[in-house]
Amino acid sequence: MPLMESIIDFVRRYKFLVALLVLGPPLIYLAVYFFAPFLITILYSFGFIGRCGVVTWKLTIKYYQQALKLVYLKVFYNSVVLAGITTIGSLLMAYPVAYFIAVKAPKKWKNALVVSMMIPYWVDFLLRTYALMNIFTMIGIMFTYEAVVLGMIYDYLPFMVLPLYANLEKLDKSLLEASYTLGATPMKTFLKVTLPLSMPGIASGTILVFVPAIGEFIVPSMLGGVSVSTIGILTWDLFLKFHNWWRGAALSILYIAVVLVTLIIYMKKVGELEI
Amino acid sequence: MSIRDKLMAFYSALVYAFLYLPIVVVIIFSFNESKTLGRFTGFSLKWYGVLIEDKAIWVAFYNSLNVAVLTTAVSIFLGTLAAYGMVRLDIGGKGTIDSLLYIPIIIPEIAEALSLLLFYKFTGYNLGWLTVLLGHIAFDISFVYVVVRARLAGFDRSLEEASLTLGANEVQTFLKVTLPLSMPGIIAAGLIAFTLSFDDFIKTAFTTGPGFQTLPLIIWSQSARGGVGPELNALTTVIMATSMALAYAYAKLTIERH
Repeated sequence: MPLMESIIDFVRRYKFLVALLVLGPPLIYLAVYFFAPFLITILYSFGFIGRCGVVTWKLTIKYYQQALKLVYLKVFYNSVVLAGITTIGSLLMAYPVAYFIAVKAPKKWKNALVVSMMIPYWVDFLLRTYALMNIFTMIGIMFTYEAVVLGMIYDYLPFMVLPLYANLEKLDKSLLEASYTLGATPMKTFLKVTLPLSMPGIASGTILVFVPAIGEFIVPSMLGGVSVSTIGILTWDLFLKFHNWWRGAALSILYIAVVLVTLIIYMKKVGELEI
Repeated sequence: MSIRDKLMAFYSALVYAFLYLPIVVVIIFSFNESKTLGRFTGFSLKWYGVLIEDKAIWVAFYNSLNVAVLTTAVSIFLGTLAAYGMVRLDIGGKGTIDSLLYIPIIIPEIAEALSLLLFYKFTGYNLGWLTVLLGHIAFDISFVYVVVRARLAGFDRSLEEASLTLGANEVQTFLKVTLPLSMPGIIAAGLIAFTLSFDDFIKTAFTTGPGFQTLPLIIWSQSARGGVGPELNALTTVIMATSMALAYAYAKLTIERH
């Protein structure tokens, strides 16, 4: 096959070009539809008015001053606390399940168990929260903090289970046997072998749950009513209700800064992030 | 099975029950004759009749599916390219590229959604199908990247080396060894990408224009107005059945590959 040979020749000879062909498309896409929009958001947060071509701009930091009011800071704090509770709750709920599926369950059941974990999440996010509204109304906890926390865990669980499962599935079982043979109890084996090895899975699960949970808008507004205020609800209102894009942009930039600082602290404590 | 294992199995069963109970309740009450919540007054299909007549829901369902399928296809392609490039190619600057690919996961969705809106306003896009689709893909690439990369980095690289040593070339090795071994990761990534797009409410709400509604948007306005009701319960049931059929197809695909 001359075509095949010329492809292989190309792959071997032009390593850099191959890298460009492989990594170029995803990076260019993200540059245009992810990073460029953020640059524009930064412009707006400093008072930018206009569009491509026509620009009237008066540089100002007043939108940041407005966004740093005490009322807003309190909302920030509430959002981070709620996201923390959600992450811990879903980790406690997910770990034994992920471990069970990956290590203990019979091999022929594994796929079925993973798929049944996913099935409820093929149902629309809003519908799932709406489904909880049925039950919460029946047991009378609608519009409480408990309802919001339960709803958050319910909605974010698979994003904790799947990376944990992917990690634990690769766990070399002979390491566990070695630990048993050398006299360690199951508890000690878990703490000294399994848990440290599953740290990358825990880290990625935490990132996948904690970060979107801070900005969560649907669950607190549907299940919490007016009793809970989060950064997501605030941003939504500023943009889609009051059309105050400039203050919204400033708030969003501050919010991203908070998220990044949280992540940096987290990575310093836990170590290198590896998913 | 030891006691410990049985306890773990029991705990897992409880978690699965927690996942399914709200959905089972919705299904049961979609067949409820009266609108009363919490009391089953009699079996009826009338809410499904109401649903079938509702043209807006059909259009929105088609729109949601259309965007989710296209998003999944494009983001699997781009995300897998990125994962393969990062794990297998010998290049410099990997740390920086890796951080760039992670940022969309790290940045909260609502912040990304509003930045996309500002971007579309700035560049003069007409808000609608295309703006929704482009935004969904931008978000999903990174999730595919993370999942597929974990799989690629996880399996034994010596399998690929063995294949090369035994006379297979790079392309054959990629097609016969690397790709099949990463398949579970790619399928898992596809599941996540589809779900994230099909579920997406916030980015869609920020980036859509008049005339392009997806299911989450319709459901948002309906449940905000009328609260819990049997027609929305019926809709949930229909989507659940569709989703289960798709999930079943996936399961079959996965089992046949192993």
